[in-house]
Amino acid sequence: MEESDTSGKVEQIFQGIGISPGFAIAPAYLFSRTKPLSLRKHLNPEEIPTEQTRLDEALERAKYELKKVASVAEEKIGSESAHIFEAQVQILEDPVFINAVNAFILNEACNAEYAVQVTLEHHISQMEASGNAYLRERAQEFQDVKDRVLRSLQQKRLISKIQQHRVVVAQNLSAADLVLFSKRQVLGCVMDIGGTTSHASIMARALGVPALISVGWQAERVIEEDDWVIVDGFSGILVINPSSETMREYRVKQAQYSKLLEQQSELKDLPAETLDGHRVHLRANIEFSAELPQLVEYRAEGIGLLRTEMTYLAQGRALTEEEQLTFYKEVLEATAPFVATFRLIDLGGDKVLPLGKHEPNPFLGWRGVRILLDRQSLLRSQIRAILRASVYGPTRLMIPMVTNIGEVRAIKRMIARTKIELAVEGKAFDSKMQVGIMVEVPSVALMADLFAEEVDFFSIGTNDLTQYVLAVDRGNDLVANRFDEMHPAVLQLIAHTIQAAHRKGIFVGMCGEFAANPLATPFLLGMGLDAFSVSPVFIPQIKRIIRSLTYQEAKEITERVLIQQDARSVRKVVSEWFGQNQDILASLMKI
Amino acid sequence: MIKRTVTVRNRAGLHTRPSSLLVKAASRFKADFFIEKDGFEINGKSIIGVMTLAAEPGATLNLMFEGEDATEAANEICSMFEDGFGEEAMMTKVVASKPLTSI
Repeated sequence: MEESDTSGKVEQIFQGIGISPGFAIAPAYLFSRTKPLSLRKHLNPEEIPTEQTRLDEALERAKYELKKVASVAEEKIGSESAHIFEAQVQILEDPVFINAVNAFILNEACNAEYAVQVTLEHHISQMEASGNAYLRERAQEFQDVKDRVLRSLQQKRLISKIQQHRVVVAQNLSAADLVLFSKRQVLGCVMDIGGTTSHASIMARALGVPALISVGWQAERVIEEDDWVIVDGFSGILVINPSSETMREYRVKQAQYSKLLEQQSELKDLPAETLDGHRVHLRANIEFSAELPQLVEYRAEGIGLLRTEMTYLAQGRALTEEEQLTFYKEVLEATAPFVATFRLIDLGGDKVLPLGKHEPNPFLGWRGVRILLDRQSLLRSQIRAILRASVYGPTRLMIPMVTNIGEVRAIKRMIARTKIELAVEGKAFDSKMQVGIMVEVPSVALMADLFAEEVDFFSIGTNDLTQYVLAVDRGNDLVANRFDEMHPAVLQLIAHTIQAAHRKGIFVGMCGEFAANPLATPFLLGMGLDAFSVSPVFIPQIKRIIRSLTYQEAKEITERVLIQQDARSVRKVVSEWFGQNQDILASLMKI
Repeated sequence: MIKRTVTVRNRAGLHTRPSSLLVKAASRFKADFFIEKDGFEINGKSIIGVMTLAAEPGATLNLMFEGEDATEAANEICSMFEDGFGEEAMMTKVVASKPLTSI
């Protein structure tokens, strides 16, 4: 396809949210998950053997695809998840199922699609109606198998057949689709926010595929197949049918970015320190074991935030103590000799629980430590698992969504009791395991001096802190544009928290998205932040900025930033500094 | 015909992984293999059948084998149940009294 094909179509620009950095310029591939047709067709008796052969071939093809997916999954994610695909292969080989479909084709004189549809739908509806939660979950696997066989029968293009070098536009990507991304057929990705799991964005970042999610517009509606699109994974801008001028502009950016990546990879093995030797730590935010290899790849100095609730949400149930122990041990062994920070499960807010009760204002509701204190058995099994895992490497436990000092003391009492229990049971643990809190509610930031006396470390969560300080729900389209971490009130609270921590001699990091924003790096550094914890892919750019200035210079920028009247003037101060330094990244981010 | 009675010992019950291992093992034998639970009988070589049994930990299953290698099949399959499919056995103590899904 020639780029000139775009002429005649009008350039359109949509604003979304960038979830994986970089630029992609390519024709779009609409990966629609629309169900293949399975309408009934009547066959003449002589057509039946042919139809049965067609079924055999489709099953073989589906099996071949699944085995391919399973092997890629095993290589990329580990044998645990590959198991799901193996079971799906067994469904395709199930003698009872194959006989039933063949008998159906023969007895009803109908097409294979209809026979497959009816046979599997029978099992699926049985499973969905079952009172057994496990069976209801499995229904999705049967659904996947059914779709795969039907698509195979109709030889519909699957994602594994995406033409090379496309931007994939999708509403929803499943585990199977994601692993096939690693084939590098995909240059960029546009997803709809409703269907975006954090799985999808993590995978995009892990694979270095620029990606954005749509906000208030549906990607699959506004983009047509083969339209040329530009994905700006930084700003979240999507350009459809770009003019030749826009195309040129982005080609330049793309080239600049690849030059930048090259520069950054040269810094890989150098420490995160300023020109005058002030050293900070760059750590990783992690959710799943699949991401652990990135710790070494990006030279993360430990894990600043392990979101333990993600495995809970992915499984749809609480993990047992032993299951947690296995996962935490794996994490600690991959992280050693560096520290791994386990945040107690942080549910509520946008991570919705099947509560059975609608909270009118979930962000001001039952979430974080509030849930844990109301659900002692959940809390207890997690504390036990973390303590028991602590013998495998330096471990820190972090409490989410703290508001009152009493919550911290209650958790600490629980930890002390659990230690005695484990000692009595003869189970090993690290008696000096550090305990810290998330600073993400204004009450804690304001009273940081008091909290610093109770804990070993702070970690500042900027998303929640900003929404509570500014009273803006970022998920609300009407006010989302008022959400700005650069607001001086937010920055003053961050600075205050860091100072309080240092007065009491405790360590303070930041694990919110703001820590990954390169525009904030100079002044966060200048405030004295000890650690930046970010998605591993962002580590190189933060390091590059830290290594480009002196601590003194960073402090001067901070002083100027903290006296500004609004976010706009904060940005101006920062962009002046980046401007003087002619920073490529800053120019890519269009500040 | 050989009949055996087994108990599901592994803590998570007969979920995807053990079902998959069971069917894989059963398919290696020529003998027919059926599982009966609560009056409901399924073909033990059918993953769909095994999974829809939804046998939970502690469930009692009647196994029936028929064919030339029925004895070998019975021995192998029963030992798989006995060692809980290589998974953690049921614990006497309930750790999380309320699973998250019930919150």
